[in-house]
Amino acid sequence: MAKKKEEKTEKEQVLSLEETFAQIEEVIGRLEAEDITLEQSFAEYNRGMALLAQCNETIDRVEKKVLKINEDGGLDEF
Amino acid sequence: MQNVYTVAQVNSYIRNMFTQDFMLQKVRIRGEVSNCKYHTSGHIYFTLKDEKSAISCVMFSSDRRGLPFRMTEGQQVVVSGSVDVYERDGKYQLYARQIELDGIGALYERYERLKAELAERGMFDEAYKRPIPRYIRVLGVVTAETGAAVRDIINVATRRNPYVQVILYPATVQGEAAAPSIINGIHALERLQTDTIIVGRGGGSIEDLWAFNEEAVAQAVFDCSVPVISAVGHETDVTITDFVADLRAPTPSAAAELAVCDFRQIEERMEEYEATMQHLCRRTIQRYRNRAAQYGMRLRYLSPLHILRTKKTQAVSLEEHLQAAMEGKLQEVRHRLALYAAQMKGLSPLDKLSQGYAYASDATGKTLSSVEQVAVGEQIQVYVKDGSLLAQVQEKRNG
Repeated sequence: MAKKKEEKTEKEQVLSLEETFAQIEEVIGRLEAEDITLEQSFAEYNRGMALLAQCNETIDRVEKKVLKINEDGGLDEF
Repeated sequence: MQNVYTVAQVNSYIRNMFTQDFMLQKVRIRGEVSNCKYHTSGHIYFTLKDEKSAISCVMFSSDRRGLPFRMTEGQQVVVSGSVDVYERDGKYQLYARQIELDGIGALYERYERLKAELAERGMFDEAYKRPIPRYIRVLGVVTAETGAAVRDIINVATRRNPYVQVILYPATVQGEAAAPSIINGIHALERLQTDTIIVGRGGGSIEDLWAFNEEAVAQAVFDCSVPVISAVGHETDVTITDFVADLRAPTPSAAAELAVCDFRQIEERMEEYEATMQHLCRRTIQRYRNRAAQYGMRLRYLSPLHILRTKKTQAVSLEEHLQAAMEGKLQEVRHRLALYAAQMKGLSPLDKLSQGYAYASDATGKTLSSVEQVAVGEQIQVYVKDGSLLAQVQEKRNG
């Protein structure tokens, strides 16, 4: 629920996947414009590909084991 | 003959027996409400019954504070009061001072009361609902360590996205210890900065699910800074926690589906983005290429070489036209000539000879057109188609 909403945004410097996707959508929007120059389109394309690479990084493709909080508040494998 | 008593005396005697009975003065009776009538005077008349028996009851308007809900037919209640005799009718009845809902009925009553209260406070308001993030990295789960709920959540979550970290808070979800345990779980997972928390358990009776109807649990869910998906029991079980949660899932499996986005979808979306960007870039390049090609064409069109070539072509074409015109003219003349020749041929005397006619001349070559021009014995020339004959006039006959 609501309340302490703002605290997290400051802490999260890394863009979430959602935000990155939103940015890619914006890049695509600009690429779609009829009047984009060739230089701009290269720049936007590079930016888009960099964002995609960032997505891949964010996803962190390592299979995760389910963790369980133990009585001391530490984490064990479930 | 024994003493004869009045009716009033007997009823008074009996009433006295009742009032002296300690047990009847303070009694609690469990039963089902029937024939319930709220009288305009404020008194309530009803009958309390079970499978075997029934007792008339009355609650006076002065005791109405002891009834915190609207009593209706069929309710299971526990009535506290005294049993006394109404002398006028010779009838004993239960004078109710306090009425509570019994067992499950009481739980439903508490549930409804808390639901109304929290709704009143606005805790179910859409405005407080936080959106569930679509792509999460860490999923918190507050539920029992054993049982179908935790298995279902883990199975569904890891199947949809094996790269999502699931952290389980093994909570007690039933009995007295359940509410504090669930609240601790929510707090612990909030501290671990999970992206979404699923709070729930498998199906059960209203008593089994009761912890999720506790105000403290509802408050913890409401206060949680991390979006909470509730998944309590089956689709038909709706708890207070469900109303307060940011999203209610009908079952634990459904909660995992709502919390964890299908990884294939993420991948597909990324591939789609890449393809779109490449396509758009190629399109821009193609557009520039086309423009360059257009300029090239225009430039070539305007080049001196092109102009020269065009003029040359024009000259050739003119020459061809000229020739064609000349040819046409000649053709026409030739044609007319042929026509004249044909006409003239028809008029030629020589032509007549070919049709079997002949003509004659005298010796000097003068054409004979009259018998007078020659004398008998004179020689004449007769011309036919393929030569001439030398002939002698034998005789003359006039026409």
